[in-house]
Order: sequence, then structure tokens, then C-alpha cells
Amino acid sequence: MTLHIVSQSPFSGSALKDCLSAFADGDALLLIEDAVYAAKGQTITQLKGKSVYCLEPDAVARGISIDPAIEAIDETRWVSLCTEHNPIVSWFR
Amino acid sequence: MQFTLVVYGAPHASEGANTALRFARAVLASGHGIYRVFFYGDGVHNGSALVAPPQDEQDLLSQWQDLKIAHNLDLTLCIAAAQRRGVLNDSEASRLEKPSGNMADGFELAGLGQLAEAAAVSDRIVTFGS
Repeated sequence: MTLHIVSQSPFSGSALKDCLSAFADGDALLLIEDAVYAAKGQTITQLKGKSVYCLEPDAVARGISIDPAIEAIDETRWVSLCTEHNPIVSWFR
Repeated sequence: MQFTLVVYGAPHASEGANTALRFARAVLASGHGIYRVFFYGDGVHNGSALVAPPQDEQDLLSQWQDLKIAHNLDLTLCIAAAQRRGVLNDSEASRLEKPSGNMADGFELAGLGQLAEAAAVSDRIVTFGS
């Protein structure tokens, strides 16, 4: 099962949309950097029913309060997510 | 588990290099290994010895070098990307008749074969975008 890592804001490009079009059952999604802007508000409706994680330090740095439907994680948990999934695909454009 | 990190982001141009450094620290702190950090595209600017950020800003270069010394990290710059962007070691600079090399201590120049080899040997590859 794939770990998808998205780092681009949903408001500045199609990375999240492209990722979701390739998303399979059992995959996980991690929001980092500017993609944490997808962790609150209306954009989370498209993430419903999926395993979604958000890198908390990046959300804190941007003043984003992560929606309770999304699991806030630190870098250590990110590493363990990487050990639990293969391959790991980064979406940044 | 062995990780290989691929870094596309130049320092101070995108967050990717900084995120990669944070992730690398977490990998090592979790007891896993890092087989190679491969700097590709604009990421090769991470290996320039000439970067001089203001003192109150992050100095990514010295942090990569400290991590290399502490954990014997393999920090590899893609040679083709580095030549195009003006990151050269002394022997490349002299071969290409440039005034001086500027590659930072702790880094090496190598071809994409080294990325392919790292992919074959590592359990996981994580890419950090530009």
C-alpha cells in the first residue's frame, strides 16, 4: 500500500487532486508543508473515508488547526508510516 | 530499515531541503539507517560551500555536514545537475577550466547510477520536492 506525501497547497496547484485520482483502497495520505492548508475547511470533504495524516509542526507553523478527522503526527510517526507503507510517492507539482 | 532520500529543493528556495533534514534526523533517531541522500535538480545547491545565510537564519549546509559527521551519511550531488548549476569540486573545476571549485566538504559528485544503486539497495525511497 502506497504512502502519498503531498506538499503543495490545494489552492496553488493540482498536486492533491492528482494524488487523489491515483489513490487506492488501503493507501495513506500525508499532508506536509503548504499541503497542510488542506487539513481544515471545505477541502477535507474530498479526504473523507481515507487514512489521512498531517505533519503537525508544519500546521502549527502556519496557524492551521487540524480537523479532528485527520490525524496529527510528528516526524517520528512519519518515519513509522514509511516503514508501514511501500512505495512512498511524493506529489509536489 | 535502510532509507534513501532524494532532495529536489534548493535551500532557501523551497521548503523541501529543510523538510528532508528534519526527516533524516527522525529516521536516524528511530534507529533506521540512511543509505544515501541524493541531491538532484536544484537540490544540488545544497552542496555549495559558498552559501552565506544571515546569522539569524537556518544554515542548512552546516546542519547537513554535522549530520554527515555524526552518522557517516553519504551526501551525493547529481554531477550533471551540479555542472549545469555551477556546483563543482576542484577537479571538475580544473577539468572544465573554471576559476575554482565550490563544492562543500562532506559531499560527493556522482551520476544517476548512484541513485539507481541506492534504490536497489534501500528498503524505502522518500522524495522531497522543490
